[in-house]
Amino acid sequence: MSATTHPIFSSYEQKSELLDEIFDSEGKVKEVYQKLFELYSEHSIDDFAKLNNKAKASFFNQGITFQVYGEQETKEKIFPFDLFPRIIDAEEWDHIERGVLQRSKALNHFLWDIYHEKQIIKDGIVPLDLISSSVNYLQQMNGIDPPGGIYNHISGTDLIKHSDGKYYVLEDNIRCPSGVSYVICNRTALKRALFGVFNHYQAYTVTDYAENLLEIMETVKPKGVDVPKCVVITPGMFNSAYYEHSYLAKAMGVELVEGRDLFVENDFVYMKTIKGPQRVDVIYRRIDDQFIDPLEFKPDSTLGVPGLFAAYKQGNVCLVNAPGTGVADDKAVYTYMPEIIRYYLKEEPILNNVHTYHCSRPDDLKYVLENIDKLVVKPVDEAGGYGISIGNRLTKEEIETVKANILETPRKYVAQPIMSLSVHATYMEDTNSFEARHVDLRTYTILGANKEFVLKGGLTRVALKKGNLVVNSSQGGGSKDTWVLKK
Amino acid sequence: MLARVANNLFWMGRYIERAEHIARYLNVNYFSSLDAPNEQSQSRQLVLRSILFMVDNIEIDPQETLDEGEVLYDAALNPNKHYSVINAVKYARENANGARDLISTELYESLNKFYHFVLNYDATLFKQKGLYDFTVQVAESTAILRGKIRGTLLHDEVYAIIMLGVNIERASQISRIVHAKHRDAQQAMGSYTDQFNKSYEWSTLLKCAESYDMNRRYYKKTPTATTAIEFLILHPQCPRSVMNSIDQVHKHIDVLNNQNFTTKDSAAYMIGRTQAYYKFLRVEQIETNVEKHILEIQNTLYEIATKIEEEYFNY
Repeated sequence: MSATTHPIFSSYEQKSELLDEIFDSEGKVKEVYQKLFELYSEHSIDDFAKLNNKAKASFFNQGITFQVYGEQETKEKIFPFDLFPRIIDAEEWDHIERGVLQRSKALNHFLWDIYHEKQIIKDGIVPLDLISSSVNYLQQMNGIDPPGGIYNHISGTDLIKHSDGKYYVLEDNIRCPSGVSYVICNRTALKRALFGVFNHYQAYTVTDYAENLLEIMETVKPKGVDVPKCVVITPGMFNSAYYEHSYLAKAMGVELVEGRDLFVENDFVYMKTIKGPQRVDVIYRRIDDQFIDPLEFKPDSTLGVPGLFAAYKQGNVCLVNAPGTGVADDKAVYTYMPEIIRYYLKEEPILNNVHTYHCSRPDDLKYVLENIDKLVVKPVDEAGGYGISIGNRLTKEEIETVKANILETPRKYVAQPIMSLSVHATYMEDTNSFEARHVDLRTYTILGANKEFVLKGGLTRVALKKGNLVVNSSQGGGSKDTWVLKK
Repeated sequence: MLARVANNLFWMGRYIERAEHIARYLNVNYFSSLDAPNEQSQSRQLVLRSILFMVDNIEIDPQETLDEGEVLYDAALNPNKHYSVINAVKYARENANGARDLISTELYESLNKFYHFVLNYDATLFKQKGLYDFTVQVAESTAILRGKIRGTLLHDEVYAIIMLGVNIERASQISRIVHAKHRDAQQAMGSYTDQFNKSYEWSTLLKCAESYDMNRRYYKKTPTATTAIEFLILHPQCPRSVMNSIDQVHKHIDVLNNQNFTTKDSAAYMIGRTQAYYKFLRVEQIETNVEKHILEIQNTLYEIATKIEEEYFNY
């Protein structure tokens, strides 16, 4: 069956220069998608319009929404969800899983090292500049041993599949990577809308994330604690990720707290319960470093807990992730990841890194300025897809602006070749048809003391605008349910 | 459980209950006045005044003529009136958001759907022909929510706190309804002998509390002032009575209170004493001064709620 023979795919354009996840180069449906394609072909395109509404209603009624602040009133919106799932077969997944686990472990070694002996710098593998000029390097973390020796308990690794058919890591997220609740919601929504398709595929569950997270939190309990009291701390219900925070707390059966629910006395952390203070031992914090403790960091933060960092320093409470992890997930460190992996693990990197030009290096800077139309230029310390410029989309004036920005602070920028993200069939509401859209994949890896877990699945993010490469939800991206097949 | 979250749960319970009573009060008073047996009880002005008094103790000058559309809209959908149904539902959901990790997905989803139903209800439609549908749907939704609270939550402290809120609010709303209808009955007397006692308003009162049929079953007579007041305030088996609500409050405070012998300044003590008082109060005693007794109930409930907040939610 080829791409255009069925009405629901009649407006599907396949471009030869892009890797299509569903159709091979001859336009035939790839094996793993064949059954799904048959099942979907039993529906008319109007059925999909109805199913799409059903899926949207499922999110809306569950209150899985974010707020859009308008001039007059605040509106609730759902994150766009796509009906066509992404399927990853067992072999391909095995490769990804080993790769992201390897990276997360290497990053943990790296963090321990740069907050202790700094051997990797002494050995000349990475430049001192990488940490000395990083705003995310926390001096306060120097010499502190986090419980269990773990810094990045939770890592979100962003992967793409390039036109060469290989996976590349685009970014490591080891501060407070978000989105895992959408993995679970997407599965629920797809099951509600199209339950029949699940009978034909043996996909791994994604609902075991929370129990594994809790087990891992329990492995990093402070010394002397038998059964640790774990909590999730949120900035509050107006935070855009509040649904995720409440979901994780609920699924783990632990308390969801805000800064004002906690206090510190004699370097121990307590929460204010209906029966008085109760000690807290492990905190999964969804508040950024700078806000966790007004005594140590941003003094005007009302989200954090005064004295929390002192309690952490004493080893009386564990913070998940550890403060100061941001130094290791910026785009400058990214470029050294192959060396970092080899240095600590004595292994070859399993997943590819995208080649990166550092504007701080004169040769690279020269290349970047001359080839800006072929490159993606990114600020090293911005998250959420902000500040990215894609060379072949820029006007002449815009190119000049980007050049001026780079020349002003070269260290702030890196550039990479324009990678072509693979495309996947995606239902488009406005045209009522399936069209090819770019996708990436965020995986979730969790590390504890002698325990590790990779969520079998992940968040496939899709750029809904035609031709757009930026998949972040803050930039109008949607997501897909992602199935990892059993062997 | 966190003190802040306990406060959220308590108020979620209260606002869900409040929305229901206001909606039903609008519905029953409005529709039973349409075919009432005498002119006073048919008077739309009496109904509108009664509504305003029930929702917010508003007393209207006898000379003033109220606008029907406006009063009904204010009580149901006006976001700028603190007593409106729409605000009660908004607050219920906001409080549920604060405790979202502790309640079930099923409960949250029902409350969320309810919220969107109320929020998106068309004001024009409501004014023209939506009063019945809207208020019936609100009452139905709150019944579903009560079912979800009872059927999908652990019956632990979380449940106890929600039920404390629900029952304190219920007792307080029932006392407000009795108060308002007592005033109505004084204005809309029955047609024959013993006019006050046999006012049509007593039947309306019982319907406002969904207790008319059971009142008939129990007393086997047309409701009178005596049987309506006794049933709604003192009867322990009437699920909407003040007595029944206080019994529930007592049961649920015991889940939170772990002392066997409560101290004099605790919420549990206050509730126990109140329960004992109403257990041995008789309707003849209330009838000597109904208004005074109703205000007393409201004050006591207010003090109990304040005490619970001080003792458990102080964060």
